[in-house]
Formats: sequence, structure tokens, C-alpha cells
Amino acid sequence: MLEFLKSTVGRKYLMGLTGLVWMGFVLTHMAGNMLILVSAKAYNQYGHAIVSNKILLYGAEAVLLLALITHVYCAITLTLKNRRGRDSRYAVTPNGEKAPSRASQFMGIQGSLILAFIILHLITFKYGNYYETTVDGVVMRDLHRVIIEVFHIPVYVIWYVVCLILLLFHLSHGAHSVFQSFGILERKMQKGLKKIAWVYAVIVVAGFLSQPLYVFLIHKK
Amino acid sequence: MEAKKTLNLTLKVWRQKNAQTEGAFETYEAKDVSPDASFLEMLDSVNEILIKKGELPIVFDHDCREGICGSCGFMINGNAHGPQKSTTVCQLHMRQFEDGQELVLEPWRASAFPVIKDLMCDRSAFDRIIKAGGYISVNTGGARDANSIPISKVNADEAFLSATCIACGACVASCKNASAALFTGAKISHLALLPQGQVEKDERALNMVSQMDAEGFGACTTTGACSAACPKEISLTNIAKMNREYLRASFAQKEEVAGGDLA
Amino acid sequence: MSIILDSKVPNGPVETKWQNQKFNMKLVSPANKRKHTVIVVGTGLAGASAAATMGELGYKVKAFCVHESPRRAHSVAAQGGINAAKNYQNDGDSIYRLFYDTVKGGDFRAREANVYRLAEASVNIIDQAVAQGVPLAREYGGLLSNRSFGGAQVSRTFYARGQTGQQLLLGAYSAMMRQVDLGTVELHARREMLDLVVVDGKARGIVVRNLKTGELESHEADVVVVASGGYSNVFYLSTNAMACAVTATWKAHKRGSYFANPCYTQIHPTCIPVHGENQSKLTLMSESLRNDGRVWVSAKKDDLRAPQDIPENERDYYLERVYPSFGNLAPRDIASRQAKYRIDEGFGAQGEKAVYLDFKDSIARMGEAKISERYGNLFQMYDKITGENPYKMPMRIYPAPHYTMGGLWVDYNLMSTIPGLFVAGEANFSDHGANRLGASALMQGLADGYFVLPYTVGDYIANTKLGAVKTTDDAFKNSENEVNKEVQKMMTIKGSRTVDSLHKELGHIMWENCGMSRSKQGLTESIDKIKKLRETFWNDVRVPGEAKDVNPELEKAGRVADFIELGELMCRDALTREESCGGHYREEHQIDGEAKRDDENFAHVAAWEWSGSADKAQTRHKEELKFDNVKLATRSYK
Repeated sequence: MLEFLKSTVGRKYLMGLTGLVWMGFVLTHMAGNMLILVSAKAYNQYGHAIVSNKILLYGAEAVLLLALITHVYCAITLTLKNRRGRDSRYAVTPNGEKAPSRASQFMGIQGSLILAFIILHLITFKYGNYYETTVDGVVMRDLHRVIIEVFHIPVYVIWYVVCLILLLFHLSHGAHSVFQSFGILERKMQKGLKKIAWVYAVIVVAGFLSQPLYVFLIHKK
Repeated sequence: MEAKKTLNLTLKVWRQKNAQTEGAFETYEAKDVSPDASFLEMLDSVNEILIKKGELPIVFDHDCREGICGSCGFMINGNAHGPQKSTTVCQLHMRQFEDGQELVLEPWRASAFPVIKDLMCDRSAFDRIIKAGGYISVNTGGARDANSIPISKVNADEAFLSATCIACGACVASCKNASAALFTGAKISHLALLPQGQVEKDERALNMVSQMDAEGFGACTTTGACSAACPKEISLTNIAKMNREYLRASFAQKEEVAGGDLA
Repeated sequence: MSIILDSKVPNGPVETKWQNQKFNMKLVSPANKRKHTVIVVGTGLAGASAAATMGELGYKVKAFCVHESPRRAHSVAAQGGINAAKNYQNDGDSIYRLFYDTVKGGDFRAREANVYRLAEASVNIIDQAVAQGVPLAREYGGLLSNRSFGGAQVSRTFYARGQTGQQLLLGAYSAMMRQVDLGTVELHARREMLDLVVVDGKARGIVVRNLKTGELESHEADVVVVASGGYSNVFYLSTNAMACAVTATWKAHKRGSYFANPCYTQIHPTCIPVHGENQSKLTLMSESLRNDGRVWVSAKKDDLRAPQDIPENERDYYLERVYPSFGNLAPRDIASRQAKYRIDEGFGAQGEKAVYLDFKDSIARMGEAKISERYGNLFQMYDKITGENPYKMPMRIYPAPHYTMGGLWVDYNLMSTIPGLFVAGEANFSDHGANRLGASALMQGLADGYFVLPYTVGDYIANTKLGAVKTTDDAFKNSENEVNKEVQKMMTIKGSRTVDSLHKELGHIMWENCGMSRSKQGLTESIDKIKKLRETFWNDVRVPGEAKDVNPELEKAGRVADFIELGELMCRDALTREESCGGHYREEHQIDGEAKRDDENFAHVAAWEWSGSADKAQTRHKEELKFDNVKLATRSYK
């Protein structure tokens, strides 16, 4: 078992597994956030519902945090091993038919930026300005107001969009290669899986993108 | 038939005395190259001139020159075995290039493949991976009749495709992580697809992956560069199969009980 | 003084000879086996299978190869298949028929008993290979698939697409690597054997050059097995890999091992023609192509028209014309010779040295898809090399040296004239006579390694008093000194001729005069030319670099020096064999362009004894061949 966790193959399983946790999370997170397009009330009620059940909340947060740490830890250790594997670089990089997919080449850089994004994202929203509002007699946090405020700052919107595009590549490659890492790739699935991975990534990222763009361009303060 | 137009090329070739010394690029001209010549024949001509000038010829590994022994291989402008798909460098012909082109030739670069000299490197790590379990333990003699083990054509063909690996090392060379997953995966898949390979499949997967890691190859990040560079077009599914075999083996492997009889 | 060689063929009917021999052999006890060291030189099919099997038996095996990895040996390049008398197709095949076909195919110049044993072992080889996981082609029902090959009238050839050699070699290689893992086989890669060490008349070790460092190393053993392949590269251009050389067998020859039938060489009819002066090697296209392709040339002399412009009635399908019953499937020697005739007469494709191999009719009959399924990889290879699409226009082919039936003389036990030196695979002379049938080389290599040597080596060890030797003994030191002297000599000449240019010159002499067709005059002149070439080599060769380093030019120089000496012997052998048989065709001995054998005077093996110096002619010895089972007949494929 320890051997498994130490091996390159085992670590890839861990990365895939933790990646899947986050893939599920970002999908639901995106879906929930779409309520912003519906109304402030619906959005705030949704946010309130999530934080109300503390056990579930902390449980989910713990799982996500653990997954994130494992994912990053494996990424760092594997990257170090990979660097050691290729101790000198080529003078010319490949091109043409034999060039690898671009998304796969920069998973580390994408990942690092996405990690920065996650931290900043938590600071801005989860631990950001606290406003209160009352919906149907219940006092709750007015998350909607925070969102509207933040998404009217042009710099933040740009940063958000850039990070989301990175996420698009990271997710598309991750969603595809998880099948490889998990060993469920078969010859006839090869092309289909790539498409499914892209569809998934595009849905998630398009959903997320629609929110700041909607706020910034259409929703007035 | 009319004479074909010959090519003039500039070669920037990596020259390195041995593993201990630093290497550097040297520039050579290849003149009047026939488009029908193979890439290695072009290098042969360059070497003939170098020898006559009293310089040291460029060293590269090669043998069968039919694309099957796996000896040859180096990078041409960043591509393992050059620009043409599913081709070893010995089967790459000069008609693939244009007059006046500059070509940069580098050896495979991977810590597990130390350079021996110029474009020649040491790929014995592959032998050690095979030694760790890339076989079926069957002694000579006493094998049962070949037709008593029916194998579905689909599996036999799939196993064959995995078994076509020539161990040239292009997968490792083209991978940004210098991963040997495609090489190792191909052998694990080949044997795991056949009924003869079932008995030892767990130990095989565990031992071969462990040796692969110990040799200092990197991990697979599914870039697909290996398969794109592979002269035998070994599929990425072989890596998936290896991962699956390895997972199953890690959890399903039974503990060996101490042997010994009562005698 | 000519001596009669004793083949040690056991008595009794041919069907039971090997059974009896196996029973009569002495065994080495398991506890004693590990005390005996066996050196195996070469890791192709014969070498790897021998090393693996003897490792399994418990001997201490040391395996040597010139390659970086044993898996790169040239057996890897065999395409077509491997014969076995399994009769899975129920088409009338049997061990006896395979035996009969091989003796006849060899033009009655092979030793019957050896061939019979080979046919017997063929059956076990397939079982062994499948057990090892060799992915041979299968039918939908899951059973093994067969094809007809090289003019055989039964389907007995097993194959793995166009890579049968590679897959079988990987089987033998993996079996050997398993023994490396278990510690019974010690692997020495990138080592070239440069001398055989003989102590008290017995082979006791070898001297090798470490090709990575240039250092000389000595290794002692109780038995030395040489399985270093054939010598087609004496022609410079051949289908052999670049490192294929006669060096290991030639060094053994110079230490007293007789060289048998050196003039028996096989010229393969379907190779891609030469494109120019800088060509380094020729590429073979599997013989299986002749199953569906038709060979033709223009019926008009000096016809420069493109093949598609030559109408059907102006095409000469000469194999179908001359050999109506075998047609395009005529055996290799015959098909090659006919191509040579057409080209010599001026019928070559667009004036070049090539004939056409056309799939037009097969494509029309079966469709492109079916042809692609059968030969897709070969068509692709042809396209890659020539830049021409064989689906659209006929292939151009020309014969090329491919295999050498001659080799070190061995007795029935595969032991050479030096006790303790065994020779296996293409390196020996034993099984193919004057011409080898398609898909029989893989069979012989594996039969020798898996099923013959493990028995006969044991018998030798059990019957022989083998005193201890050490690599510090004088015999080893002397050998090392001699090798070192030769290496130094080559390094210090610093002449003006590159090794390749000398090799090309030798190849040209050999191809013109000792190739597909040989004459007294040509051979006599060649001997003189080769002698001069030898002088040029030793006075004017230029070997750059250092001896104690990776130095491919030095490696080549040593090999070419040996090829030059061998070339002379080949011509001498061809000159003395005043008959035509199989691949050896003397213009003076023919009936209407067909080989005319002389069974009265030449039904024997010619084995040459080294005279102590390259300047002194070698002595020819004979082993008379007896044909008790297959009746001597004119080989006719008409």
C-alpha cells in the first residue's frame, strides 16, 4: 500500500481522485452560482442554506481542503521527479505532428495560478465584506451585494476571466487524463473522452464566466 | 529517368566526448544530398568527409536501418526521429526536407539515458525494466500444444500492437518528464492481454513499475508526446492499462506464504 | 593432406536418430551444472534461446552481444514467418514432408540427419513461443493462422504480421532476461568477440573488446557457443544490419575451426533496388508479396517507358512463362537468377537494375482493402523508402544478398572442429545446404538454441575432462596481446582510404564475381583483386579516433579486414566447386540457364582449414553427404 502511494502511478491515481473531487465541486459550485442570474433573494437563500448545516459544511470543507493539499503535494513531488528525469533541455522544441497538446504542457503553471486564485477567491468572498439582509424574515449574509460590488471592479473581472480560461485548460486536460490515470482508457474511447472532457470544462467555465460578465455588463449597482 | 534535384543542408550537431564532459553544438554542411538517401546515409557522407579531413566522425547508434531493431534515434529540430510520423530516423528519407534547411541534431536527453558520445546514449534502463518482469516464466520444453490455448483474434491483435515496441526510447526522449510509461505500459499490456500472462500479472505490474521509477524516469502527465513520436504508433491506452494493472495488483496481491515441504 | 570429417551422425533410421542420440547422451547432475560456465556469443534467436535454456538448466551462462541491448540482434528484422510441421491446416504436411522439402530446397547439399532433427524440433518451437507470449497471428476462432510461403505447397508458416523475427526474438530475449534476473545468465552488452582462446586443444574462452571503453576483456569458460549470424555483408550492400559481421566466426576459424561451404550465399529476389552510390544497405520486402504480386519486365529491350505506359501484351511475366507450375512462387535462388538474366539482357525497368512486382491484378480481383490488410505495412515501407505508391504503380525490385548458408563446420552435435566450440544458427553451415527455403532461418536458430545445444553441450561437458583455466593464464594473455597488436596496427596506419570505401570495393568485387552467377575467369581474377585489396587495407586504411574509446570506425575496420579474408575464401570455394547447386551458380555448369549439379563429384561439404596465414591458401577437406531417404533428383520447379 505504501509502495503504491510512493510510486508514480499511485500518485497519479491520487491526483486523479482528488481532481475528481474538485471537478465535482466546481460543477456544483458553478450551477449554484447561476442563481445570480435569477435574483438576489434566490442567491442569498442558496448561500445561507449551504452555511446553515455546520456539520455538512465543515465536512465538505475538510474533504475539499484535504483533496487540494493532496493534489498539490502530489503535483509538487511528481514535478520534482519529472525535472530530475529530464536533467537537460533540448535546444529546439518540437513542432508539427509530433508536438504534444499545449494544455498538457503547462499543467503546473496553470495549477499554481489556480491555487493563487482559490486563495484570493476565498479572501474576497468567503472572508470578505460582511453585509446583512433579511429574506422572508430570516437574517442572513447579503452575499449578492458582495458579488455585485466585486464584479464591478474591472481589474478583478479581468483577473477572474484570465483564471477561468486557465481553469478551462486545466480542467479539460485533467478531465481527460483522469481516465488515463485511472486506467479506463480504451482504444475506442480515446477520441470520445477528449470531447467529453472538453464539453465538461466548457460548461463549467462558461457558467462561471457568465456570472461576472453578466454583473459587469448588464447588472447595475 | 532524369536526375533528381539534390539538397544542401546545414547541420548543427551535438558533439559530446563522453558522459563526463560537457557537450556543444558544431555546425557542418551536408552538400549534394540525394533526396532518395536516408537520413543516416546523409550522415554517413558527412562522416566520410570528416574522416578525410582528419576530424572525428559523428557517433550515432544504428544497425538494421529497416526501422525494426530500435538502435537509432535522435532529435531532429526537436522531434524524436524527425518530422515524419511513425518513422525511425533510419527510415526517414531526405525528400522530407527542403534545400537550404538548417537541422539541429541532439541526442535523447533523459537522466535515465546518459549520453555515451555525441548522439549515442545508454538505454540499458529499458533492459532492466524488462528484466524486472517483462516475461512469462516458462522454461524450455514441456510447453503444451500451441493451439490448446485459444486466444481471441481481437486480443491477439491488440497484444501484438503492444508487442511491436522496438525500445528505441523516442517516448522517453519526447516526453517533457522523460517518462517511460509508454514503454513499460506496452510490455505490461502485451502480456496482460494474453491468457499465458495471467498467472504472473500482479507481480509483473508491481515489479516493472517499481523498476521504472527506480531508474529515474518521470511520471506520465498524459501529454501524448510519446505516442505521437512512437515509430510504431503504440497507443496511450497501454499506459492506462498499466495503471489499471498496477492498481489491481497493489490491492489484490496476495501475500506469499513461506514454502517448504515436509520432506 | 585432406582428412575426412566425421559428422558423428548416429546410426539407425532418420526418424529415430535424435531420440536415440538424446538417450545415449551423458547428463550433468544439477549440482554440477552450476560449476560449469558456458559463453554464448550473440543474442539473436540462436544465441538468446541457447543462453536462456542453458540458464534454465542451471549452467553459469555469460551472454555477449555487440549491441546495446540483446533485443537488437538482426534476427529482429526477419519479416515473413517461421515454418513448423504442425499440419494444423490438414493439408498433408508432416515432419517428413518438411524434412523432404528442406533437403530438396537445399539442392541436396545438406546433411539429412540434421534436417530431419530440425523438422522435428519445428513443432516444439511454436509451442514454446506461444507459451512465452509471442503474439502469433490468429484466426477468429482463436487458433493459430498459417500461410503458404516461399514456394511451399502446404501452409505451414506461422507469422506475426511482417514482424515474425522481432516477436520471436523478443520471446527468446525475455526468456533470457528472466534468467538474468534469476542470476544464471550474466549479460555483457556492447562487447565484440575478437578472439577465441584455445587451451590444450579445447575452446576455453574469448577475448572481447568493450565497445563503450575500448578496453580488451578476457572471459573463461568450459564451453563457447558462437551464434553470431551470417556474413552477407561481405557484399557491402545486403539486407543484413550494419553490424552483422563474420568476425566472431572468422576468429574461431583462424584458431582451427573449419569453415564450410563459404560460397553458399542466398540472394533474395524481392528487395528494394539500389538508389545511388551512398546507399548503405538494402531493404528486403517480404517474400510473401509474391503470393499476390506478379513479376514482369517489358518484352521490348531497352524500354524506357514508365510501367503504366506498357500495354499488357508487351509485358513479359517471365516467372510464369518459364516456370508454369510454380510461377511467381519459384524458390529464391531461381527467382533471383531469372531477374538477373532479364536485366543483363537489357529488359530492366526503364533501363535500371530492377524488375516490376505488380499488384494491379490482385487489387482488381480482391480490392485494395484486402491487399492493404495483407501487405499494408510492407506497402507503407516501400512508399517511405522510394516515395512511390505501390497501390498505384508496380513496385521495383531487385535481388540482394540476404542469407549465408555456409558457416563454421559442425558435426551432428553442432560442435565445430575445435572441441568445446559449438556453433548455432546462421553462423554454422549445417541445415540449409546450398539454398535456404523461406521461413526456415528462424526455425533453425531456435531449434539449435532451444532444443539441440542444451543437450549436446551437456554431453560434451559430461564426457570431457576440463581442467581449471584462468584469464591470467598465458593463453589468454597471448590472445589479448595479438588482438591488441592488430588494433594498434589499424590505428597507426593513418592512410588515405576510409573503411567504407574499402568495404564498398570489396562488395563490388564479390557482387560482380561471386554473386548470383560465377565463372572460372571471374573468380580467378577476383582472388587477385581481393589480395591486392587486402594489401591496400593494411597499408592505406584510415581509422580516426582512439582505440580506448567508442570508435565505430575501428569496429568497422576490424570487420572489413575479416571480410576481405573471407571474400578470398568464398571465391576459392566457388572456384573449386565445379558444379551449380542452389545459390551457387557456375556459368560453366548449366542446362538452359538452370543449375546443373554434379552429384558424383560434389555431393560433399567443403570445409576449409586455416593455413596459419592469410597469404597461404587454405586446405579443403570433405564431408561426404549420403542421401538414404531423399532420392537425389534434379530440382525442377517448371
